[in-house]
Amino acid sequence: MNTLLKSTLLLLASGAALLSPAYAQDKGTVYYMVPTLIDEFQTGSVSALEMFLEQVGYDLTTLNADNKTDLQQSQMNDVIALAPKAIILAAVDFNALAPSVDAARAAGIPVVQFDRQISSTVSDFTSVAGTIEIGYVAAAEVERLLTEKNGAVAGKVLQVLGDPGDPYTLDIQKGFEEKMAAFPEVTIISQPAMMWEASNAGTIVSDQLLANPDIDIVFGHAAHLSLAAVAALESAGKQPGEVYVMSSNGAPVALELIRDGWMQVEVEQPLYAQAAAVAMFMDKIVAKEPIEPGEYDVLGLASTVTVEDWGPTIKIPGAAITPENVDNPAFWGNGQPPADPITPVP
Amino acid sequence: MPPRQRQALEFVLDNLVWFMLLVVLGIFSAVIPNYFQAGIFANIVEQSSVLGVMSIGLALVIIAGHMDLSVESVAALSAMVTSMLFASSGIGLGIVLTPGWLVVPVSLGAGLLVGGVIGALNGFLVIKVKMNAFIVTLASFIWVRGLVVALSGGRSAQNLADEVRWLGIQRVLGIPLTAYIAILCFVGFSFTLAKTRFGRHLLMIGGNQAAAFRAGIKVDKVLMIAFVLSGAIAALAGWLLAIRTSGATANLGSGMLFNAFAAVVIGGVSLKGGVGSLPGVYAGVLLLSAINTAINLMGLPAHYTQVIHGLLVLAAVLLDTLKQTIRKQLA
Repeated sequence: MNTLLKSTLLLLASGAALLSPAYAQDKGTVYYMVPTLIDEFQTGSVSALEMFLEQVGYDLTTLNADNKTDLQQSQMNDVIALAPKAIILAAVDFNALAPSVDAARAAGIPVVQFDRQISSTVSDFTSVAGTIEIGYVAAAEVERLLTEKNGAVAGKVLQVLGDPGDPYTLDIQKGFEEKMAAFPEVTIISQPAMMWEASNAGTIVSDQLLANPDIDIVFGHAAHLSLAAVAALESAGKQPGEVYVMSSNGAPVALELIRDGWMQVEVEQPLYAQAAAVAMFMDKIVAKEPIEPGEYDVLGLASTVTVEDWGPTIKIPGAAITPENVDNPAFWGNGQPPADPITPVP
Repeated sequence: MPPRQRQALEFVLDNLVWFMLLVVLGIFSAVIPNYFQAGIFANIVEQSSVLGVMSIGLALVIIAGHMDLSVESVAALSAMVTSMLFASSGIGLGIVLTPGWLVVPVSLGAGLLVGGVIGALNGFLVIKVKMNAFIVTLASFIWVRGLVVALSGGRSAQNLADEVRWLGIQRVLGIPLTAYIAILCFVGFSFTLAKTRFGRHLLMIGGNQAAAFRAGIKVDKVLMIAFVLSGAIAALAGWLLAIRTSGATANLGSGMLFNAFAAVVIGGVSLKGGVGSLPGVYAGVLLLSAINTAINLMGLPAHYTQVIHGLLVLAAVLLDTLKQTIRKQLA
């Protein structure tokens, strides 16, 4: 009985020690519903949003959905009850969260879509690089790399998707294959890395190298998948550059692989600019003022605001990171957040 | 049934999972282009190393009549700790030891320590506090994975020290050294389970804990060793996983628990405890890897691979159930 009591008290004390109170700043609290924290882009988005929102006077509280749609729906319900100044949502499932968005807006809470666009309902603001567009940029880079390697846009590409239940990876695939359809001499082999787990990606690459030894490019849908892909290439006795490697999201690990010569291209999601755009427009979003369409300068990137059926949307172009520009501090993977504070849009 | 025929049938039943493996390899080799080649078989053995080692610890606890759901998260934590200490990029501290080879035993020791401590905590709560093993290890499954995310901040550590990576790159007969480590583990623990007093006690406790206690077996001590071993072996699996991927990400190893359970069940270990052998478990792991490789090579649409994987595992378990039925009829 004593042991049981002591163990229970110890567990409760440990749990309590991990809790810390939240402090609101001048303009109030904004909630960020992050889909997962096991991805460097997502953890980077938390710190970037925190930093930029603080610069314009808001406090950010983040809730992690662990990639579970139902959990994120429950979190939305809870947050609506807290009546924050705004909710920033990076949806686990683009469509399943639409009713939660409607519920928040009906309660008078503005909703911002971050990184993952929901087009089936209206939101107050959307800041995206565009997952389909990432596929387009990747296709353009594959076209360039194959021409460089084989003298023509012909060859074999192994596309390592993320979890096939995640719309994020399916949109990249859609954009990529849409553009690659113009090149019938390119064979694309697509395999999913279940649960976005890196060793699954390594296994796919090991197997495919034996079944298709003439693979020219391995395209992973996230940088951490490429880490395992490169380990598999190394284990198979390949040298850097023998099989081209590319991936998307711009995480630090990818930039390291480019510097090491293993990776040729990383398609960046402009994390800092995406987060800065949200903060720049936050006063207007909270005040429910109209957001004018047009060109805006977001951390030096020319970005366009358009008013779509689902509300005002800013699209910030993603960039291809190559050995030539890998050290550019503007890439979030280099871990150098912009030094100058942002200014809210008047 | 004539004794010879009966003997032959019992031999087949005892080793059914190995026959299933041979049949499956034969079918895949005949049907799937590029499957039948030495490199693919080497890949199957290599891919089995992490899951195989993890399954050993899980099998030991299940044979003892308990459950350890924490093995996947313990492996992830061990991989993360190893990578954070000895990987040079990302969140890796890039600790360098002199001479360089010291990094192998030190990283392994750090991983095993982490796993052993979590295993001991699980064992303490199950044996001393008398909590249900399913709930205790489910809680560990959750909090240990949470610890991995918290320690890493969601970031990854990469470029593991060359001296450790060497084990994943260096091949003997086309198979990486890490796979030999897994095979050695199976041989060692198979011997332990079948030929030592600890192994026999584990089987007896799993079969009937009260009877084992009355027979004078130190049940609590044996169970505690089983939980500590399970944690430490899971940590070894994590160490191998980090070597395989040259680092660790926060979700490394996700989903392996279910495959480990499938391998253990296919391998003939009874979830009720008291029955099972490790060679069968290894065959189960090889079978799952053979199926996984087949799916990788078949070029199926991404959405269907999980369905096929699940159905093939179900088919394997159904065959195992059939085996049990035939065995009962023979008895």
